Amino acid sequence: MSASIETKPAAAQGSARMLVAAGIWVLLLLVPLWLPALGGYTDLATRALIYAIAASGLNLVLGYTGGLSFGHAAYFGLGAYGAGLCLIYIAPSLPLAILAGTVLGGIAGILVGPMAMKRKGIYFAMITIAFGQMFYFIAVRWNALTGGEDGLTGFSRVPLHLGGHAIHMGPVRFYYLVLALFAVVMLVLWQILRSPLGHSFVAVRENTTRLRFLGVAVDKQIWVAFAISTFITALAGALNALLTGFASPDNLGWQLSGSFVVICVLGGMRSYWGPFLGAIIFIVAQDYLSSVTQNWMSFIGLIFVLAVLFFPQGLLGFIKGRARS
Amino acid sequence: MSFLTLDGVGRRFGAVQALKGISLSVEKGELRAIIGPNGAGKTTLFNLISGYFPPSEGSIQFDGQPILAVSPNALVRRGIIRTFQITQVFLSLSVYENLRVAVETAMGLQLRPWISRNVRNQVEAKVEELAAITRIGPKMDRIVGEMSHGDQRVVEVGIALSRHPKLLLLDEPTAGMGDEETNHMTDLIRRLNKEQGITILFVEHDMAIVFGIADRITVLDNGTMLAEGTAREISENPRVQSAYLGNALEENAA
Amino acid sequence: MYSAFNGLIVGIFYALMALGLSLILGLNGVINFAHGTFMALGGYLAFTIEPYVGFWGSLILAPFGAVVLGLLVERILIRPLYGRDPLFSLLLTFGLAMIMEDLIRTIWGSVGQPFALPNYLNTPLSASLFFLTGYRLVLIAITILVTGALFAVLRYTRIGIRIRAGNADLETISAMGVNIFFLRAANFGIGIFLAGLAGILAAGQLGLSPSIGSSLIMPSFVAIIVGGVGSLIGSVLGGLIIGIASGITAAFFPVAQEVVIYVIMAVVLVLRPRGLLGQEGLFE
Repeated sequence: MSASIETKPAAAQGSARMLVAAGIWVLLLLVPLWLPALGGYTDLATRALIYAIAASGLNLVLGYTGGLSFGHAAYFGLGAYGAGLCLIYIAPSLPLAILAGTVLGGIAGILVGPMAMKRKGIYFAMITIAFGQMFYFIAVRWNALTGGEDGLTGFSRVPLHLGGHAIHMGPVRFYYLVLALFAVVMLVLWQILRSPLGHSFVAVRENTTRLRFLGVAVDKQIWVAFAISTFITALAGALNALLTGFASPDNLGWQLSGSFVVICVLGGMRSYWGPFLGAIIFIVAQDYLSSVTQNWMSFIGLIFVLAVLFFPQGLLGFIKGRARS
Repeated sequence: MSFLTLDGVGRRFGAVQALKGISLSVEKGELRAIIGPNGAGKTTLFNLISGYFPPSEGSIQFDGQPILAVSPNALVRRGIIRTFQITQVFLSLSVYENLRVAVETAMGLQLRPWISRNVRNQVEAKVEELAAITRIGPKMDRIVGEMSHGDQRVVEVGIALSRHPKLLLLDEPTAGMGDEETNHMTDLIRRLNKEQGITILFVEHDMAIVFGIADRITVLDNGTMLAEGTAREISENPRVQSAYLGNALEENAA
Repeated sequence: MYSAFNGLIVGIFYALMALGLSLILGLNGVINFAHGTFMALGGYLAFTIEPYVGFWGSLILAPFGAVVLGLLVERILIRPLYGRDPLFSLLLTFGLAMIMEDLIRTIWGSVGQPFALPNYLNTPLSASLFFLTGYRLVLIAITILVTGALFAVLRYTRIGIRIRAGNADLETISAMGVNIFFLRAANFGIGIFLAGLAGILAAGQLGLSPSIGSSLIMPSFVAIIVGGVGSLIGSVLGGLIIGIASGITAAFFPVAQEVVIYVIMAVVLVLRPRGLLGQEGLFE
């Protein structure tokens, strides 16, 4: 599976990609079998997938449409709070909680998009950061609803009711639920990227002047990309709340927004699988660093710096570059 | 009534009068060259006709309707398409992808997350057609940013053609090209005009091209219109000779 | 009145920060996300050297400490990124902010520290104007002095004129033979100096905590957007406006004191996208 935006793929190249994709899906399906043997635990894989969803969503704007959104944690966080609040106040239903979180974050994205788009380039980045901060302070200050600085607690993964059966969501089952949703997201993105909609996103990134003088309303395209992207990132946030049983203001914070961007850069912004790869590297590194040092924030920051200085093309971009030459 | 008519058109930028009292008419199917020394106002004229900015005075009529202060989008829909002095293409995409996104947006598909096989075939056919007209077909899989300047120019013209232009504005289409590329572009312009029947206005510095293919020539100098006529009329016009052409002709002769 | 004045004081910090950010944004084309941690660094350096050199000594020396580090960062990390996608410099300074905040936490502890002020500055001038301490007057005076000096430098000195010209058209300046690398470094240094100064002034008013920088940088972004991209005076104005608005809101509806800043930004973006003093179509 590969985005056909790269080049019209030659048949051999295409089947090689299919093979790699098939390999990735098989490995993901078998995670509960091989991960413990490597000293990992299932929740770690679940978290990596959740971050992969969030970053893949962001990358639709960042890598494909070329918009520097540095505030995507806002939608992740809204997804988390939406799911938690739904479980506490509305109904103890897993699908409903996921839907509520996704819709809450997505609607916020639809509203913020047009305002952020009034400015381009680095100013777009600045505005998206600032709007992220707004949601952060709403979460911190609206104590009665959100639990303030301590975060929202008091909900848990309720069983999934399917045809009269209650399926309890242990770590492994929840992993498969997240994997299924990850697959849906990747399928949706794949379809978008091979459609005229996705082609136009890439054209926005490449040259807005050209597009404007072809009579295309560029702002509308960016808005659509931004909105789709926030829905996906919000979905990840909802899943994260269900994973941890907790929605925290940190889920909306600027550090997390930056982390999503660095995940995209690390893996490769121009690659369909880039954010996924970046998420694995980032989550594993974070897990390891926070277990060995108090100063793991410094090391995460160091990852940012090193990624920019030495891997601006990302790992997949780097590999592709080597393969081409 | 002519296809494109400018009546007393002028444009000021602050205190600077970039264009003044331009009145000209272009007939349907004409291939018209705009020449003049640097700073004569050629690109400003293009910007006015393509709706980049409105004229300060005078009026422009296209296909029987005025185009005063109409947005570029609306003009594109009415059939006025332009290229730029600095080539505007999608650099990190292949030729095929450049043409495809142009065709898709021309068909109004840019918000469609999926299309039927039937529509996809229409897109492909149109892309093939553009490739055939511009003769860029053999280079379809090349990344445009890695191609020569001349090829990029051809791709830009291909993109412009996706809109079925009635009036095509080409801003220095052969600037910075080698001989072979220049010949290819000149040939393309002539074929678009003669075979596709597209009315073309082009700004050009190379007098050999201008005199070789243009039906009529408009000479701008210092923001005003100096002369207009066929190649023969222009080359024999004493005002043009003294103001501008003399040197160029001597160079060509030498 | 009292709360508006409180807001004005905070607004001064926003304004100083926004001014430095705006300078760096214009000429260096970089959103310096680490600006807040340079500010915190200024505060902590002053805190450390104050016992030896006194308040006034630290006020003069500490900003230069921040500038030294700032120039090193500019030279080693940021310079290679000029002319590249702004994404990268933003990401780099993001990482830098995380590292520096963590280091500050490690060196000075994660608990907030009080910053001792001389007694004569810390007492209210009169009972009726209880909120008006000598320190606050000093703070306002210093800010006016420094901002005035900066605008004078930008208007009348050779380097200042070049910085402004470079803002408008870097290529032309470069073609005229001006060393733009030096110019950018100097500009970055000036920006960091303002941040360091803001840090010390803020330390005296708000106390010190490792996250003081990241909590003040976001409103500074808003100040730039509200004031108008590309306008230095706009940044100052924007900072003061959101500071005062936040101060007043804190008095009447305290839970919204932060959110109001972003609401103002949203309103400005909808009603006047270029900001209060921004020029149309600049820096897009």
